[in-house]
Amino acid sequence: MSNREWALAPLNLRPADEVMRLERLGSLHACRLSFVRTLMRQMGRQRWQVSRVRFDLDDNGYGTAIYRLQTPYGRYHGVMFAQALDDECRSDRVIAEAWDITFGLVEGDVDDSLLAQMAANVPLQEAGRQHSQVLVLSRANKSLRNFAHFVETLANGKQPDPQWLTRVGYLYRTTAVYGNGKFGIADFARLYDNPDFRRPFSAQMAGVYLLRHFSIEQVEHLARCQSPETACELATELRRYLGIGNSTGLGMAPFLINHPQLIAQWVTQRETALALAQHQVPSEAERARLMALTRRAQQHLAETVTEDVEQSERNAATVAALPDVLNWLESVPLDDNLWAQLVAWSERTLSLEAQELINTLLLELYPEQVDPLEEQMGVNENLDLEPDMPLMRLRQLIETHYGWALAHDYESLDGAYWFWYRSAEKEEPRLGVRHEEPGAEKEMPIAIGPRIAHSHAAICAFLEASPRAKVVDFLLAKPRHKEIIRRVQTLVKAPYGDIHANLWQRDMKPMHLLRAKLAFFGASRFDPKSDRWVRITLFQGAPLVEELNAEPKDLSHFDDWSFPLQPQYTQGSVQPAERSPQHEAARGEMSP
Amino acid sequence: MKVSFNELQGLCRKAFTGIGFEEGDAADAADMVAWMQCHGFNAVDQLNRGLDYLLEEDPEALPKVIYQDGDLAVLDGHGQSVLRSISLATELGFAKARARGLSVVKIRRCHNRQLIMGYLSRLAGRGINITAFWRNAQEPLTEQVVGFRAGHTTPEVRIYSVRDVPEENEPNDGITLVMANHVELLPSLGADHDLDLLAHHSESALMACRERMLKDGIEVDDAIWARLKTLAHRMLVESSDASRSAAGAGVNDND
Repeated sequence: MSNREWALAPLNLRPADEVMRLERLGSLHACRLSFVRTLMRQMGRQRWQVSRVRFDLDDNGYGTAIYRLQTPYGRYHGVMFAQALDDECRSDRVIAEAWDITFGLVEGDVDDSLLAQMAANVPLQEAGRQHSQVLVLSRANKSLRNFAHFVETLANGKQPDPQWLTRVGYLYRTTAVYGNGKFGIADFARLYDNPDFRRPFSAQMAGVYLLRHFSIEQVEHLARCQSPETACELATELRRYLGIGNSTGLGMAPFLINHPQLIAQWVTQRETALALAQHQVPSEAERARLMALTRRAQQHLAETVTEDVEQSERNAATVAALPDVLNWLESVPLDDNLWAQLVAWSERTLSLEAQELINTLLLELYPEQVDPLEEQMGVNENLDLEPDMPLMRLRQLIETHYGWALAHDYESLDGAYWFWYRSAEKEEPRLGVRHEEPGAEKEMPIAIGPRIAHSHAAICAFLEASPRAKVVDFLLAKPRHKEIIRRVQTLVKAPYGDIHANLWQRDMKPMHLLRAKLAFFGASRFDPKSDRWVRITLFQGAPLVEELNAEPKDLSHFDDWSFPLQPQYTQGSVQPAERSPQHEAARGEMSP
Repeated sequence: MKVSFNELQGLCRKAFTGIGFEEGDAADAADMVAWMQCHGFNAVDQLNRGLDYLLEEDPEALPKVIYQDGDLAVLDGHGQSVLRSISLATELGFAKARARGLSVVKIRRCHNRQLIMGYLSRLAGRGINITAFWRNAQEPLTEQVVGFRAGHTTPEVRIYSVRDVPEENEPNDGITLVMANHVELLPSLGADHDLDLLAHHSESALMACRERMLKDGIEVDDAIWARLKTLAHRMLVESSDASRSAAGAGVNDND
């Protein structure tokens, strides 16, 4: 195929049956369309500025800090409340009732009355009534070991060994980051016309970014309080290598099922980006750039620490496979469709995680094609019925698009093993074993497969007697199927909306659901603690507030922080890692 | 207390599920209440007044078609609240209008009729013109007319008092819906009508109300909120040590 023919060939997106398989979704990596990346790009491009307007912390680091976030469009404030917390109260679960730090991102200014209202309510989190000016409500717990070590080392005028951040990449980990009207805060609908935060989760990510900055300033403050004579600031490389953790459990799973159009939108943009990238005719410079990115990712994954045996094996398999990728890239001719060849080869040869890593890295090569898609990540959600659709047509659509749902046996013990429910304890989502644990009659209906199969059987039976019926005729007789039918009718037009898995199945891994969503957030360092909860890191390697405030001129360099590497540590001094973007830039080796 | 739109919608959905609504009906009913409340129609108060009836309704007594042809349908609402399953009666009108250009649906015997606006808003958003019409039984006799332009999710609402009360004894507990693909069906009052305009909610005023509510929050009575929470609680499973320990992170995370 010639250059011109290749360029004009239609974009082929991968089929939903491939992309929406739970195991593949559970193999995704953060990419340049992930929310932390798009937020940082926007902040740099639009010259957002962060300044400290209040820092009333005592010698123990407790008190209030306020940071101003100024954009060309508006002004926001991150308001942090740091407090003492008994060790026995420190829990990452939603059932916790107190945290080391609680904070909110506020639209507009914070006057005394709003600050007093927030001081009385934000530390209570779910138990408080939050102000409608608050866009994001969140809380975080310390990584005690990192925190103590960092304070002590800085107080002694030394830098912590970067290995501490390789093991646990943060000083604080959030345990929930609420937006969209929760507990009285502002509805997301209020942000539809706000150019700063109209993209999904961008306000939440901005709040987390301010917490990262606060965590640096807080440990430096504590070090100074502890030893004013000797204390030093955290080295820039370590600051950059410091992220914010997040601990996530089953609570994320219902969101993925209850917002199928949003999920479809995210996946569609990522798949479109991948198709566009595959479509580009590569240059030698781009091939070299992909190889450099592959080496960086290889080192990042080799440095990723997790006690989870399965995740360790998956990381190791990816690390072991990447030399083959590099060999392949080096040895093949620079054909116009090289990237399509690479993707096809990786699908035949590599593990799912390695395949998705290659896809993620390909997106890095073509910011001009990929980045505009970040504006398409939002969607107006409405599962609408098409009442005039012939019922026979609906049956055909189910059989065409939902074969995965009809293929399972929901009557077997294994096929209906789990049920999902909300606990009376702060409505925490949990999994129970059907026929063994109480509560199945209050099941949350998030397993879509069995509901599709049930509705399909009812439709087939109805069509026996009324083959010319419309959907509305069926529903007037059998109204309980309304929700699933309008879901099907909507999602056949957005086929990346439903996850192709039986969420009742005994061997189903909830971890895959969590990882899928976290990858879109921009998480790295996946560290599963069981198959039901995971710790991750956000913003590790991201530009610092001072770099943002300096109004970066080279935005592609500013944006090049994925797969961060452990800085070098020799004789107490911290330098960029050998393959880090900063190191490459210092040596004048930045690829185009 | 002040609550957000999403919070109101979410709690109503859980409360309706707790009452026993099917999932789709719970979602629709919650949408209707939240939509009405943020457009200034005090739906939460209406819901509160109707909750005891809702709790006693027979969930199997769903709207039944008693007559239909290509353009017209008459349904029996069995005296139930429009919150439960009335959406399908309106969808029937939508399907007929799509097929024939214009449809008329009469729903006899139903309560909380004003709340139906919340669902009609969705239908109008799908591109159909709608007029909903009903009269209240009490003295003075009033008449409410709601008109949506196709593609507009906010209506024009007018409430009239009827000067000359007819002598016939037909109970005023129904709704008439007229839907049309291409014909705008907005309420207006000619000079020779025997009606007094009691209230007029323009599309722009209702949109401004919604904007205000989204910005400042929605005022809801604490007692009603607590009642909805109690109903929502019905769908929660009591916690046990076993369920707590299997759910996720440890209850202590000092590391």
